[in-house]
Amino acid sequence: MSADPIPLLSVENLTIEIGGASVVDDVSFHVAPGRVMALVGESGCGKSLTSYAILGLLPDAAKRTGGRIRLHDLDLSALSEREFRKARGKDISIIFQEPSASLDPLTTVGSQIADAYRTHNKVSRAEAYDKARQMLADVGIPDPDRRLHQYPFELSGGMCQRIMISIALICSPRVLVADEPTTALDVTIQAQILDLMKKLVSERGTAIVLITHDMGVVADIADDVAVMYAGRVAEIAGVHSLFAKPCHPYTALLLASVPTLDDAPKSDLATIEGRVPTPDEFGEGCRFASRCPLVTDKCRIEQPPLFDCGDGHRSACWHIDRMPELMEAAA
Amino acid sequence: MSDPNGPVLELKDVAVHFGGRGGLFASPGPVVKAVNGVDLTIGRGETVALVGESGCGKSTLSNTIVGLQAPVSGSIRVAGEEVVGADRRKLNDIRRHVQMIFQDPALSLDPRSTIGATVGEPLKVRGVAKGEALKQRVGELLTQVGLRAEHADRYPHQFSGGQRQRVVIARALALEPGLVICDEPVSALDVSVRAQILNLLVALQKRTGVSYLFVSHDLSVVRHICDRVVVMYLGRFVEMADRATFFANPKHPYTRALMSAVPQADPVVQRGKERYVLSGELPSPANIPSGCAFHTRCPLATEICSQVRPELTPRPDGALVACHHA
Ligand SMILES: Nc1ncnc2c1ncn2[C@@H]1O[C@H](COP(=O)(O)OP(=O)(O)OP(=O)(O)O)[C@@H](O)[C@H]1O
Ligand SMILES: Nc1ncnc2c1ncn2[C@@H]1O[C@H](COP(=O)(O)OP(=O)(O)OP(=O)(O)O)[C@@H](O)[C@H]1O
Ligand code: SF4
Ligand SMILES: [Mg+2]
Ligand SMILES: [Mg+2]
Repeated sequence: MSADPIPLLSVENLTIEIGGASVVDDVSFHVAPGRVMALVGESGCGKSLTSYAILGLLPDAAKRTGGRIRLHDLDLSALSEREFRKARGKDISIIFQEPSASLDPLTTVGSQIADAYRTHNKVSRAEAYDKARQMLADVGIPDPDRRLHQYPFELSGGMCQRIMISIALICSPRVLVADEPTTALDVTIQAQILDLMKKLVSERGTAIVLITHDMGVVADIADDVAVMYAGRVAEIAGVHSLFAKPCHPYTALLLASVPTLDDAPKSDLATIEGRVPTPDEFGEGCRFASRCPLVTDKCRIEQPPLFDCGDGHRSACWHIDRMPELMEAAA
Repeated sequence: MSDPNGPVLELKDVAVHFGGRGGLFASPGPVVKAVNGVDLTIGRGETVALVGESGCGKSTLSNTIVGLQAPVSGSIRVAGEEVVGADRRKLNDIRRHVQMIFQDPALSLDPRSTIGATVGEPLKVRGVAKGEALKQRVGELLTQVGLRAEHADRYPHQFSGGQRQRVVIARALALEPGLVICDEPVSALDVSVRAQILNLLVALQKRTGVSYLFVSHDLSVVRHICDRVVVMYLGRFVEMADRATFFANPKHPYTRALMSAVPQADPVVQRGKERYVLSGELPSPANIPSGCAFHTRCPLATEICSQVRPELTPRPDGALVACHHA
């Protein structure tokens, strides 16, 4: 998180409760224009809820009980549903994991993109279609004229995801939230979509919040990374610092469990014993305590705050000084 | 079965097609040539990885090997016995030597059956064990995959995704098969759980000598677990090599594109590596391009590529590659 430019999107102490349990707890991060912030973590750690909260799209069961979200100087968390609808698509957009589930199967893709444009711009249908055609070309869809008149089922998964991206970007939002945008795609198509996102960032200065569980995707595209565990930020750092010198035991073990070039074939991979606690098991202490090799009594009783370990690299662990011990054992 | 040291699986010129005949009411749609002219031998205790993009025919080939799908031509030998055209009783006998593990453990377990009933089912159906002996064998199988014998009375919903995949593995091993086909066995699991299951598969192989056909698109997992790699594109094998050769010196342009596309979990390596981004999408298997099926996306393609289909040919380092220019 080197020499922070002025943040465009700020998530400050965000807390979300479901049935009395804080499934997202005190989460903070900032994203500047032209930067990519990755949220990573295991299934159920609260990545999607965080992204829905940013867009004002939390499910009924979930309540934001603390913190705020700011877009530049606009307090998004104070907006009414009506005001939010105005901001959504124009200032801030989201793309979801399942492209096929979020497109309307009965409407041509051209009309879906054009409608998204007309929601925020008073233009004729023809003008909106021109804009849509241009957008399809920008996201790398060959033969946009033909594609405009097709239905989602006539397109491949990769193309549907490009359509989703077109809808999300047609009004040139300043912030794009992408929830697992490539998880359902083949690796060669994933590479194309990641390249497209890099182009957006460098050419339009879009700020991106990228949600993923794939450390390879993080290594490819992120500037900064927040590693989430059981609803909290375990560690947050610039991407190079995080991979080179993880300061939280969870991150270190997570990285060690991915097979690398240096492993002997069929050798034992590092694993994390036990399982992620369910929200009703969270308790008072560090949420990683039940699985952590460095655990002490203090960890079980008191929740660690985020400590600075230099250069804006921060880790929520009582025993950062004992990380070398862990790294040695994992190697 | 015949030669105890012979291969567990031999495929010769196997082809699997869908549709085309158009039954009484069906319109005669195009033939989908999902698998075409595939040859493969898997030795005892060997792990062969099968990689390729969605729709290239990996699951169709797997299903054909376990007999869930009939080939239109070719020969499939399991432990030396021909599967194609075998009568029902013989098939049944052959099939206990090949088991399958699917991607999503949630979908392959019956939510209303206890774990014990699920794992014991193949033993019971084949009359291998019953009563107390069955219970004991189930306990052993559960222990072998890192669960406990007491878990036999629980139901799938009481387990995590990783534990459910262990149950699926225990059931696959119940009849002591020579070959287990793993169709994306860890893709649906979180990274930390993935490592546990990979360790388990390796440990079981060391103990029992089982062979694996490991279907995956994750090349870092493949490199970790396999002895040999086969790359499939639109129903055909385009490259086959032992692990060291494959990763040190990938040859087919499609293989190289795949390798370049899989992001490495290291920002320095990942951002420094040579990019080889493919343009275009995978063509439909109902309409396979002429010549080399890859020529529509290939950066090396020339005129001959769209006219003549390249055969798999051996290279000096032992790799088999189907390409005019690699
Ligand atoms: N609508 C809902 N009702 C009840 N609980 C929910 C709901 N949505 C999410 N949760 C719970 O909140 C927690 C966080 O869920 P979230 O979807 O944010 O996880 P995630 O990190 O996106 O996981 P994944 O990687 O599986 O998408 C989980 O424990 C989940 O079960
Ligand atoms: N029962 C079927 N009837 C018609 N076509 C089928 C059938 N099963 C598979 N196909 C087609 O055969 C081709 C190969 O499919 P297959 O499921 O083997 O691919 P795959 O390599 O396993 O893909 P994935 O990585 O998505 O699992 C696809 O085009 C698919 O649509
Ligand atoms: S044969 Fe030609 S088209 Fe096919 S992969 Fe080789 S160079 Fe490319
Ligand atoms: Mg999610
Ligand atoms: Mg498949």
